[in-house]
Amino acid sequence: MKAICLATMMTTVLLLLVTLTFRLAPAKRRARQMLLLYITCTAALVGVSLSTPDDLGFLHRSLLTEPHWLDLALVLFFFTAAFFGGILQLYNLADRGFSLRILIDALEDPSGTIGIEQVMTGYGGGRGIAWMYDKRMRDLLEGDFVLRQNESIVLSANKSWIADLFICIRHFLRLDSR
Amino acid sequence: MAPSPALIGVITAVAWFCGFVAVHIVGWRAGLSNARSLLVSYMISALGTLITVIALTAGSKTIASVLLAVLLAVMTSACLVILYVPAVYTVLTSLSVQTLIMLRRAAGALPEADLYDHFADRSIVEGRLATLVASGYLVADGARFRLTSRGRKLAKIFRFIKRFWNLGAGG
Repeated sequence: MKAICLATMMTTVLLLLVTLTFRLAPAKRRARQMLLLYITCTAALVGVSLSTPDDLGFLHRSLLTEPHWLDLALVLFFFTAAFFGGILQLYNLADRGFSLRILIDALEDPSGTIGIEQVMTGYGGGRGIAWMYDKRMRDLLEGDFVLRQNESIVLSANKSWIADLFICIRHFLRLDSR
Repeated sequence: MAPSPALIGVITAVAWFCGFVAVHIVGWRAGLSNARSLLVSYMISALGTLITVIALTAGSKTIASVLLAVLLAVMTSACLVILYVPAVYTVLTSLSVQTLIMLRRAAGALPEADLYDHFADRSIVEGRLATLVASGYLVADGARFRLTSRGRKLAKIFRFIKRFWNLGAGG
């Protein structure tokens, strides 16, 4: 039970820190900023977990987790899942969600509808579909996944294994044969 | 020495989750890659987790131990699924991943204009609109698409998050 209490507490702290950072000191690469906050909070979480009693001063004996190592393992797992599967995903969806942005564009249209041409030219609050891909291309370039050479885009030699990995996964799942 | 109820809860959740992933992958290979099959197979796995944990820990000294085991099992299962689902959608829909794959298949390089022709193209938009209709977020309205009440709720929630986090236009 200690793991659930501490992970919930630190997830709330992390969410507050992310919100404050985004509102007061947003970085160009927000995902990296979030990752740094997560690492800091994880270190603090380990410290808190090791320095507090198993019952946190209020838990009933029957709610203590046995063996002791399981508590620390679970608190780290729950917190990590809350970050990578929760907070970071929420950010990814809000900042980069293609489908969600289409829905928001429809919501902001006075008629409450959206058409294909409107998405092509007005996606992202009037920026157009090329801007959507610009953003992804910029992230790929900044992350050194690809390089721009003259008028071509070249896959980075040291990141080509990522493409190979996804090709293998898609092949195994038969996604490309449909 | 017998494992504790807490450990039983965690191990049971992991075991059932592995079963869920195996069933999902088999379904995927058989062409059942929609969100409904994922949800149904996960719900079966979650139910199996609950029943197994209760059955295995029913003989514990206190009811609180059983509840702790159930709670840890539910939390473990939920955490595993929230890590798994984004990974699934990255494989399925990420345009960045598809760009890397397209480059790899083209011997590592392509003219930038070709990539834009492919990924900033009408067919990508048509495909995504069709997915949104199939998922119940939009409905066809003549040549346009209208938000359903479900789509409107989702759009409002994410518009609020974008504004609250100062994320700009995004997308």
